[in-house]
Amino acid sequence: EDALLPSPQNISILSTNMRHFLTWSPVTIQGETVRYSVEFQGEYEREYANESWIPICECSLITATVCNITEDISATVAYNLRVRADTGARRSQWGTLKGFFNRITTSLTPPPMKVIADGYHLLVELKDMGPAFQFCVLYWKKGQESRMHWKMVKDVSSTVHLDTMEAGHDYCVKAQTYVETINRSSSFSQTQCVRAQGGRSLWL
Amino acid sequence: RISMSVTEIRSGFTAIKANIQARDPIRTLSILSHPQSLHKVKSSDRCCIIHNLFNFYMDKVFKHCQTEDSYINRKISSIANSFLSIKRKLEQCHNQNKCLCGQESTEKFKQILANYEGLNITSAAIKSLGELDILLDWMEKSR
Repeated sequence: EDALLPSPQNISILSTNMRHFLTWSPVTIQGETVRYSVEFQGEYEREYANESWIPICECSLITATVCNITEDISATVAYNLRVRADTGARRSQWGTLKGFFNRITTSLTPPPMKVIADGYHLLVELKDMGPAFQFCVLYWKKGQESRMHWKMVKDVSSTVHLDTMEAGHDYCVKAQTYVETINRSSSFSQTQCVRAQGGRSLWL
Repeated sequence: RISMSVTEIRSGFTAIKANIQARDPIRTLSILSHPQSLHKVKSSDRCCIIHNLFNFYMDKVFKHCQTEDSYINRKISSIANSFLSIKRKLEQCHNQNKCLCGQESTEKFKQILANYEGLNITSAAIKSLGELDILLDWMEKSR
């Protein structure tokens, strides 16, 4: 088999909020369509299964230079990844990711959050970021930062009730994500404050 | 965090359970539950049984479950790598001697190996993989 094609370069991982993508630079051959195939190898394959590689069929002979590997990076172990180029007649050597990838290194961003004052009820809406995510929500009466309350939220399919507020007072909320499988948290979101209905009118 | 990994293993297994169990024609025999169910294991022996069973699956089961189906193979890889990450954590217990094997668990594990060796390797491996939910149920129930 003639391996004249150059192997893909600049192979790297983009991993944010437990979604992992393998990317690489395109291989350009005048007048030919170059396709790519991706394979992965977990620690289990290296240690127990003769260093075997497993193809990702969604990324077999694709023209894109990115592959969503989230589904296959499903354990907190070190993974190897490789990609090769193919024009049909010719094929490159494998280009392999420099170093391993472990999902523990994913970057976690603060959760999008919307705080609502519904009469005297302090509510928060959080975006569903996937089954791996929980949310730690901190809330307090403005000015009483030393008396923060917190709530761990797993189910964000509906609005979360945090507290019943005192009339006319301001309440503030901030949240961070927590991923149990890698035991890491994001930084906190921006603080959002709302005012409970009632209390003295502002114009007095 | 072991519980979360078990949850991930279970979701990976659920995705392939029907396919794997359909490949197991021997309905009258169990690797994990014959003659006694895992649920009979004393709590003091639990860590040892889990430790031995994780080694059993790593050393004897997953590698003999290769199929012609790429999706199945990828899910088996997911399960095996999750097993490996749990095994790493269990080894910390085992190394600190908190995982002693009593007479009963030693006998129980010998029986499991005997059940396994009573079949040809591929059938035994596929049957063991098909019984993974028995292990997961027992692990979660006896936490």
